[in-house]
Amino acid sequence: MIPSSSIGNRVINNWLSQKEFHPFDFQQETWKSIEAGKSGLVNAPTGCGKTYAVFLGAIIQFINAHPTDYHQLKNNGLQLLWITPLRALAKDIGRAMEEAIDSIGLPWKVAIRNGDTSTSERAKQKKNMPEVLIITPESLHLLLTQKNYPALFESLQMMVVDEWHELLGSKRGVQTELAISRIIHCNQELKQNGHQIQPTQILLWGISATIGNLVEAKEVLLSPIKQEGVIIKAIIDKPIEVHTIIPSEMEKYPWAGHLGIKLAHTLIPIIEKSKTTLIFINTRGMSETWYQTLLTVAPELAGAIALHHGSIEQHLRLWVEEALHTEKLKAVVCTASLDLGVDFRPVDTVIQVGSPKGVARFLQRAGRSGHRPGEISKIYFLPTHSLELVEAAALKEAINLDAIESKEPMILCFDVLLQYLCTLAIGEGFNEQTIFNEIKQTNCFADLQETEWREILLHLTEGGNALQQYDEYKKVEVEEGIYKIKNKQMAMRHRMHIGTIVSDAMLKVKFMSGGFIGVIEEWFISRLEPGDVFTLAGRNVELVMIKDIEVLVRKSTAKKSIVPSWMGGRMSLTANLGHILRQTFSKALSPEAGIELNSLKSLFELQADLSHIPTANELLIEQIEAKDGFHLLVYPFEGRQVHEAMSAILAYRIGKIIPISFSISMNDYGFELLSDQAIPVDDSNIEQLFSTENLLADIQKSINSTEMAKRKFRDIAVIGGLIFQGMPGEKKKAKHLQSSASLLFKVFEEYDPNNILLRQAYNEVMVHQMDEVRLRQALQRISQSKIILTYPTKLTPLSFPIIVDGLNRNNLSSEQLEDRIKKMQQQHYSLVRQLIFITNECSCIT
Amino acid sequence: MNAPVLHKINDQHLWLSPERCIFWEEASALILSDTHFAKTGHFRKSGIAIPQQVYKEDLQRLIDLVAHFKPQQIIVVGDLFHSYENKELDLFLKWRKDMEQTKIILVRGNHDLLHSNWYEAANIEVVEGILKMNDFSFVHDAADIVESSNTGFHFSGHLHPGVAIRGNAKQYLQFPCFYFGKDHCILPAFSKFSGLKIMKPKKTSTIYAIANGNLIKC
Repeated sequence: MIPSSSIGNRVINNWLSQKEFHPFDFQQETWKSIEAGKSGLVNAPTGCGKTYAVFLGAIIQFINAHPTDYHQLKNNGLQLLWITPLRALAKDIGRAMEEAIDSIGLPWKVAIRNGDTSTSERAKQKKNMPEVLIITPESLHLLLTQKNYPALFESLQMMVVDEWHELLGSKRGVQTELAISRIIHCNQELKQNGHQIQPTQILLWGISATIGNLVEAKEVLLSPIKQEGVIIKAIIDKPIEVHTIIPSEMEKYPWAGHLGIKLAHTLIPIIEKSKTTLIFINTRGMSETWYQTLLTVAPELAGAIALHHGSIEQHLRLWVEEALHTEKLKAVVCTASLDLGVDFRPVDTVIQVGSPKGVARFLQRAGRSGHRPGEISKIYFLPTHSLELVEAAALKEAINLDAIESKEPMILCFDVLLQYLCTLAIGEGFNEQTIFNEIKQTNCFADLQETEWREILLHLTEGGNALQQYDEYKKVEVEEGIYKIKNKQMAMRHRMHIGTIVSDAMLKVKFMSGGFIGVIEEWFISRLEPGDVFTLAGRNVELVMIKDIEVLVRKSTAKKSIVPSWMGGRMSLTANLGHILRQTFSKALSPEAGIELNSLKSLFELQADLSHIPTANELLIEQIEAKDGFHLLVYPFEGRQVHEAMSAILAYRIGKIIPISFSISMNDYGFELLSDQAIPVDDSNIEQLFSTENLLADIQKSINSTEMAKRKFRDIAVIGGLIFQGMPGEKKKAKHLQSSASLLFKVFEEYDPNNILLRQAYNEVMVHQMDEVRLRQALQRISQSKIILTYPTKLTPLSFPIIVDGLNRNNLSSEQLEDRIKKMQQQHYSLVRQLIFITNECSCIT
Repeated sequence: MNAPVLHKINDQHLWLSPERCIFWEEASALILSDTHFAKTGHFRKSGIAIPQQVYKEDLQRLIDLVAHFKPQQIIVVGDLFHSYENKELDLFLKWRKDMEQTKIILVRGNHDLLHSNWYEAANIEVVEGILKMNDFSFVHDAADIVESSNTGFHFSGHLHPGVAIRGNAKQYLQFPCFYFGKDHCILPAFSKFSGLKIMKPKKTSTIYAIANGNLIKC
C-alpha cells in the first residue's frame, strides 16, 4: 500500500518509523479514506492496532487542515469523540492516545468521561473541552442534558464508535444511534445558522470485531449521515488451538447436571503449565462453586487464583484485573465479566467450562489468550455434561467453517426513545418536527409511524389517557413549540436513570466490621434466615441481618454453605451452532465420529437402543410415561430461545384438540411438554402440529407471550421511566412511588392494553424472544424433515437433561382456570398442602 | 358480581365477596382494607404514567358493593389513601357526597397521612390503633397487636395476602386471598394496583383464593 503524500500522513509515517513501527495495510487504507473525507467501518481483532487506524487518521486530518501551525494550536475545541461501551478500556486507550500525541508534538488534550469521572473534572471539561473525549453512550446522553450542549460539538471533526459489534443489537446501540443523530444534526444547524467554522461534515467511523453481518453493521452506524461508507478489513491470521477435555470414565460422567466439577482436577496440570489461565464459567453462581472446588482440589493454588464476576464489589474486581496485568495470578475463575476489556498480556491459556452457546463468544474468549500478533490462542473446552462433548465437536467444525453469528440491530425501541426525549427535554428542550425528522434517519426509528410518534409525545405530555379533571400528570411541558421538563427534581431523577442496562433488585453485602464484598439478589436473600451461610466472592459468610438495602454478614468457617444464584438471562444456542450441532449428531456411531463423539459411544448406543439418534434431516419426538406424568420430548436443536416459542405453540395447538395443561421445560437441544394426562400426539396429527400455517396468530394466542412479555416489560418499564428505583438519600421519600414491574404489567394489561410500552414488550417477545423469523425457518426445516416418533420405556440420554433442568418451567393451559384449580385440588388431599411457600427455586444452581 | 360466600365466626355472618371485601351482616358493615385510593395520581404527579382507570374502577367497584349490600357503615382497615393529597381525592370526595348517609370508619394505616381536617371534612371517622366493635377488633397491621390488647378475633390488612397454588407437573399460579387464622382474618388488598405477599398456610388456617371473580376455598 502506497501511503498518501499529505503532510499529515508524512508526519505520522515519520513518527512511526522513528519508533520502528510499520503500519499495517488496513491502517494505511483507513488513513487514506479519512483523508478523502469518507466514513466507514474498520473490522479488526483486538490487539492489532485498530485504535491507531482511526485515531491517527483524525490526527492526520488535523495536521492537513493546519499544515504550518498544527504543533502550536492549543484549545482547539472538541475534535474527536470516541464512544466506547467499556469503561475499563477508556483509561488504556486514553493513555495510548496521550503518548502518541505527546511524541508527535501536538498540544492536544485527552479526557475521559464516564460514570467514574469526578464533578470537578466534568466542570473543567465544560469550561474547556479537550480535543479528544472518550465517553460511554450513557455519559454522552448525559452531555445532552446540559444547557447549550450544541456548542460543545461545534468544532467536532470525527466521531468513532469503538467495539460497535458489542453495541449493535442492544439498546445501548440504539442509545448510540440516537446520540450520533443529534450531534450530527445540531452541528449542521449551527453551521446553517452562520456559525460556520469549516464546511466539512463530521466523519463517522466504527470499529468492530468480525460478525456475520458487517455490511449491515456499517449501514446502521452510517444511517444518520446517509453515506455509503467503506469497510476496511484487517487481514491478520490468528491461529487458534482448541482442545477438548475428555473425561476418562465416560460412563460415570453425568448425563445432565451443570457443573462438570468432577473434572476439576484435570484443570490443575493445564493451569500449572501455563503462565496465566482464564477459566470462563457461564454463570456467577457456578463460578463461585468452581473457585471453591479448585481450591479444594489444589490447595497449593491458594493466593494464586482469584474470582471475578459482575456481582463482586468493584474494588475487588479491579484488584484482580491489576494482578492479572502484573502476572501475580496463575488463574482467574471468571464469567462474561472478563469477555471484554483490556487485554491481559500474561494470559496464554483459556478454559471454557460448559457450552459457550455461540461460535463468536467461543472465539472471543479464545482470543483473550495469546492476543498479540504472532502468538497462538489456546482454549480448552471442558464439558459439564456428556452431551456437551457433541457441542465441542460442533464448535471445532464451526471454527473451521468460520460460521460467526450476526448481531441483529434493534428497531423501534420506544422505551429508549422516551428516555432520550426526556433527556433532550431537560437540556435545551426539543422541537417535535426537528427531532422526528432526525430520528427517522436512524436505523432504529426509520419505520416509526406518525401515529406512534404522537402516542410517544402524548405519553410524555399527558401520561396517556386521563380523567382530565382529576389528573395532575406532569412531566414534559410544551412552551412555544419546545418540549421541556421544568421540574428540577424530575430532571435530576431522570439524569440518575439515564441508561439502558437494567440490573435486578440487588442488595449490597457488607461485613459487620465494614467493607463491601458484592451484591446479591433480593429474592435470594429473602429466603435465608440469620445464621445461614452463603458464598460470595469466594468467601463463606454468615447472614447476620438485613438492614435497609444492605445485607450484613460476618466471616464463617462453616463447611457447608449455599451458593447464591443470580437470575440473569440464560444464553441460548445460536442458529449457526445449532445447525452444525445437528450435523454433528448425524455422525454419531459412524466412522466419521471424532474423538468427542467416540468417547460418547456407550451413551449413543443406549440412546439408539431406547429410542433413536436423530440425523440432520430428522426430527426426533419421544413420548415417555412416568410417575410424574406424561412427557412429550421434541429435539429440534434450535436453542433454548426458539424452543421456548415452539413449545408454547405446540402446547397451544395440542390444547385445541383437548383441554389440557402443560408445564414446559427446555434446553438448547430440545423441549419437553409435561402433563398429568396423556398427550394426543401421533402420526395422524404431527405434521399439522408443526405447520407454519397460522403461525403468527398461534404465537399471539399462546399464553406464554403474556408471560414472556411480562419479563420483557421489566427492562422496558425501567428504561421508559415507569419504574422509579429511587436514588441514594432519597430512598425514604420515594417509598410511595415503588411498584414492581409485574404489578405494572398487570395494571397496563387490564386498564391500558394499547399502551405503547406494553406493545413494545409484546413486540420484543415476537422479534427477540420468539424470534419469529428463526422460528418460521425452523418449522419450515422441520416440515421437510422426517419425523421420528418413539415411545421409550425409560428416560433416554437426550431427554434426561431437559427433564432434570426444570428451572425454566412455563405453564400453558387451555382448561378453564376454575377447572384447573379443582383438578389440582383433586390431585392432592387438600389444596392447603399445595399452598407452598416458594422454596424450591432456592436451589443451589442456576 | 358473583355471589358472596358465607364464613361464620362466633355465630356472626361474614359474607366474603370475590370483589375483595366482607359484608358483616349483624353490624351491617362492609369491611375492606388497603384501597390505596389516589395511588395512580401520586405516581402521575411524579411523571410516571400509570393508567388512571385502575383507580376509577376500584372506586366504581366500591360504589357497586355499597349499592349491593346497602351497609350502614364501611370499616376500612387502613391504607384508605395511598399518600399525600392530589387531585384524584376530589373524585373520592364527589362520591362521598353522594353517599353521605353511609358511615365510614378508618382504622389508620401507615399510608394514611392526610391531615385530620381532611378526614373530618370528608366525614370519615379515624381510629388510631385498634377499633373494637362487638366481639371483633380491627387493626391495620396485625403485627402491632400485643398480648395485653386482648383483641379476640381480629381483622387486619397491610400485607396484601396472596396464595401460590401448585399442582402436578409443576403448575404454579398466584392469587389474592382472604386468609383466616385461628383468631384472625387478613383481608386482601381492595386495590387492584397492589402487589401480593404470598402467605405460608398453616394447618389451622383457611384460605379463600380470589380467582377470576370466584372464591375458591383452599
